[in-house]
Amino acid sequence: MKTGAFSLPRTSVVAITALVIFLPLGLIFWQSLLNAPFFNPAHRYGLSAYAFIFEDPDFWSAFGNSILIATGMVLIALPLGAALAFLLTRTDLPAQRWIEVMVLIPVFVSPMVLAFGYVVAMGPVGFYSVWARSLFEDVPWNIYSLPSIAVIAGLTHVPHVYLYSSAALKSLGSDVEEAARVAGANPIRVAIDVSLPMTMPALLYAAVLVFFLGFELFGLPLVLGDPEGHLVLSTYLFKLTNKLGTPSYHLMAAVAVCIVAVTFPLVLLQRWLMRTAGKYVSVKGKATRQKLLPLGGWKWVALGLVALWLIFTIVVPISGIALRAFVEQWGEGIKLSEVLTLDNFRGVFESSEQVRAIINTLLIGVVGGALAVACYMAIGLAGHRQRGGVARILDYIVLIPRAIPGLLAGLAFLWIFLFVPGLKELRNSIFSVWLAYTVVWLAYGMRLISSALLQIGPELEESARTVGASGARVLKDVTVPLIRFGLLASWLLVFMIFEREYSTGVYLLTQGTEVIGSMLVSLWGAGAIDQVAALSLINIALVAVGLAVALRFGVRLHE
Amino acid sequence: MNKPSGQQLVVEDLHLAYGSNPILQGVSMTLHPGEVVALLGASGSGKTTLLRSVAGLEHPNRGRIVIGSTVLYDGAAGVDLPVERRNLGLVFQSYALWPHKTVFENVAYGLRLRRTNATEAEKRVREALGNLGLAHLAERLPHQLSGGQQQRVAIARALVYNPPVVLMDEPLSNLDAKLREEARAWLRELIVRLHLSALVVTHDQTEAMAMADKILLLNAGRIEQQGTPEEMYNRPRTQFTAEFMGSNNHIPGTVAQLADGRALLEGEGWRLWGMAYEGLKLGASATAVIRLERTRIAADPGENRLHTALVTGMFLGDRRENLFELGKLRLRCYGDVPDGACYLELPAGDLWIFPDATPADRLPEVDKAEQSLAESGGKVEQAAVPSD
Repeated sequence: MKTGAFSLPRTSVVAITALVIFLPLGLIFWQSLLNAPFFNPAHRYGLSAYAFIFEDPDFWSAFGNSILIATGMVLIALPLGAALAFLLTRTDLPAQRWIEVMVLIPVFVSPMVLAFGYVVAMGPVGFYSVWARSLFEDVPWNIYSLPSIAVIAGLTHVPHVYLYSSAALKSLGSDVEEAARVAGANPIRVAIDVSLPMTMPALLYAAVLVFFLGFELFGLPLVLGDPEGHLVLSTYLFKLTNKLGTPSYHLMAAVAVCIVAVTFPLVLLQRWLMRTAGKYVSVKGKATRQKLLPLGGWKWVALGLVALWLIFTIVVPISGIALRAFVEQWGEGIKLSEVLTLDNFRGVFESSEQVRAIINTLLIGVVGGALAVACYMAIGLAGHRQRGGVARILDYIVLIPRAIPGLLAGLAFLWIFLFVPGLKELRNSIFSVWLAYTVVWLAYGMRLISSALLQIGPELEESARTVGASGARVLKDVTVPLIRFGLLASWLLVFMIFEREYSTGVYLLTQGTEVIGSMLVSLWGAGAIDQVAALSLINIALVAVGLAVALRFGVRLHE
Repeated sequence: MNKPSGQQLVVEDLHLAYGSNPILQGVSMTLHPGEVVALLGASGSGKTTLLRSVAGLEHPNRGRIVIGSTVLYDGAAGVDLPVERRNLGLVFQSYALWPHKTVFENVAYGLRLRRTNATEAEKRVREALGNLGLAHLAERLPHQLSGGQQQRVAIARALVYNPPVVLMDEPLSNLDAKLREEARAWLRELIVRLHLSALVVTHDQTEAMAMADKILLLNAGRIEQQGTPEEMYNRPRTQFTAEFMGSNNHIPGTVAQLADGRALLEGEGWRLWGMAYEGLKLGASATAVIRLERTRIAADPGENRLHTALVTGMFLGDRRENLFELGKLRLRCYGDVPDGACYLELPAGDLWIFPDATPADRLPEVDKAEQSLAESGGKVEQAAVPSD
């Protein structure tokens, strides 16, 4: 296939991919080196933007808070996620099937929605707080403190660790553990000497991932950090808009570069860890059935702990939102039966922009999701069975968007749509949001596509070549039909991710580009709690539909 | 490591079922010190399950497993010693080397668990690695080794703490064909040199004959026949054993005459005398089985000779294999075919005539196709096991 390596379709796919990734990124870098917004004719090159933020004590406190929260998240999510994976893959914990489904919910619910859920459930006058006060005279928690934010973020990121460690535990052949038993090790020694070290690469990977996600956390600190004024880097960036009154793009860009300076090495570290993990996959063991560890009486203790976690991360925030969406107001001494109402939803449906947000969210999930999967597939096929050159480049450039938090990507795309000639008309259409979403989730989408492509044995394609099909025919007649189910599954997953996304749309929000996620951020900023509650519930419902379809068709919810 | 440990392994009437699916249906065997016993059988015959039961990785429903004076398992007495306290060595089909430990650490692990002091452990690991020709690879990680080297590390790991019996699960199946023949001879030499007692699972009858002092042929969870390789090959007691142990010609026909332990089998245009097995009835259908190498090419007609036509010949390097036909019969034999030769001699003493099983008790027929299926590893066998 050497001659086809630089064919026109392949080259153009690679070129377009590189363009949509490097243009926004380059724009951020360039802007950060100017002393004024780039559209201001008076701009000059210089490091004054960096000088400004480095002299701002708020920047350093936000930086410190980001590190603290990210570290706290790792310390909480890593042991809990690993323990959960062990319980669900290796023991006879009851109700495993139910738990496995529940565990994934926090992954697909927007953090903005979750954060809001905690406010209305456990904030100073939240449902559960009011309830607790009537029981203990006092509310024994304060969810607005920095440690609380770290705890909430940590607990809601347990699923990420769970996914990677359970995959590692499942792929760990039972033979290596049996070999240790035969050599004379009891089950605890086996866990310490064999199972744990062999899952260590996956745990390290998950730790880096959680730290990374903690560093780009936006929704949770935006909502929960506001009352006490705790800033993290992303919220500091967000607040910069208002800080000077004028659009201070150069300062925002400088902060953005600082964030990327931290996240990009983390992405490379993840990739390196993934590679080293490959070494540990030695001769594939026989897939004998795994003997489940009997927990005996402890299984109820374990189940209780898992249930507590599920209640805290799912039931509390979602029940809070569900209740808040149907009441006029809430506070001390208010009777639930007297304030029940549907007005919040009426309010949503009477506002044309909120109706548009719902329609746009649906469109971007269903149609946009399909288009995004089509793009990911084109990129995947461009690199499929290619060695060197093109494939290598693609391999690396699709990782880059991973390092750019959605908020920054949205900002960069805003600049592109504002100032690249010919794109201005698209700025007010949902296309701008779709493009930003598609680029932000490129790395995720590519993982979905490539895991589907990996399922195809090369000999299936080679045999098509030998009977006389050209490279392109093979893709059309063999490769694509074979990954059909994988593509449908990817569509569903991308749908859920696009329904959930909020930060990417924040800067792109204008008339015509409303989506629920960015609407929530803006309504929250305006203090419109009633609509936030109603829209949040609608958002949860949309994700739930996707989740139900995925479960109905047995789509694996993680790669 | 150089003395037979003097303990014999005895398995008595072992039964094991997964749910309602019986895997072992009363297997008994004895492994004397310094002896190598091969568990031979097709996929699903229960050979791996038997080995894993001895290791303690499977839990039988009843029966007894004893080594020397130690009871490993006794269904009646409710004894089921945990795997780690059985002190056996097991070489896994996949080798199951711990990828995060070096070769040295892999081999030393069993000694570490037995709290052998460091100097002694070091000495014994070095000795074991030396015995297996791995001395120079001690600091490597498993993924840096070839398949053959990994296999030897797995063996060293199983031997280093002097277990009374070494269990090997298809030890050669992960090697490629060429290497497998060399490894077979090497493994046999090692077993003899170190006076090991070994229980070896294999689906390959040549491998079993080459390595073992005694073969146990398992069929659907029961022992079909056991004996020395010579007995198993030359004096099969059942058609199943005869079919399993070599390459054969099959000649279906009808019993025309029975006399002095011999039988006359008749078909369309041919009649052959052979050794009569129990259960033959006059006029009933029967099958004659003869090893390919006992079938001879002849130039003239004569006793027990068939007039056949040569279809084709295949050059195999050390010999030629020829395919002849007679009506619907297809017969294979080795040797050069001189011009004009068109007779095949099937000596009566080497032609075994078995009664055809009535459909009710027909044994699963093992032909080459099923054997090649078995070569794909124990996977089919495992698939029969409910996955959770």
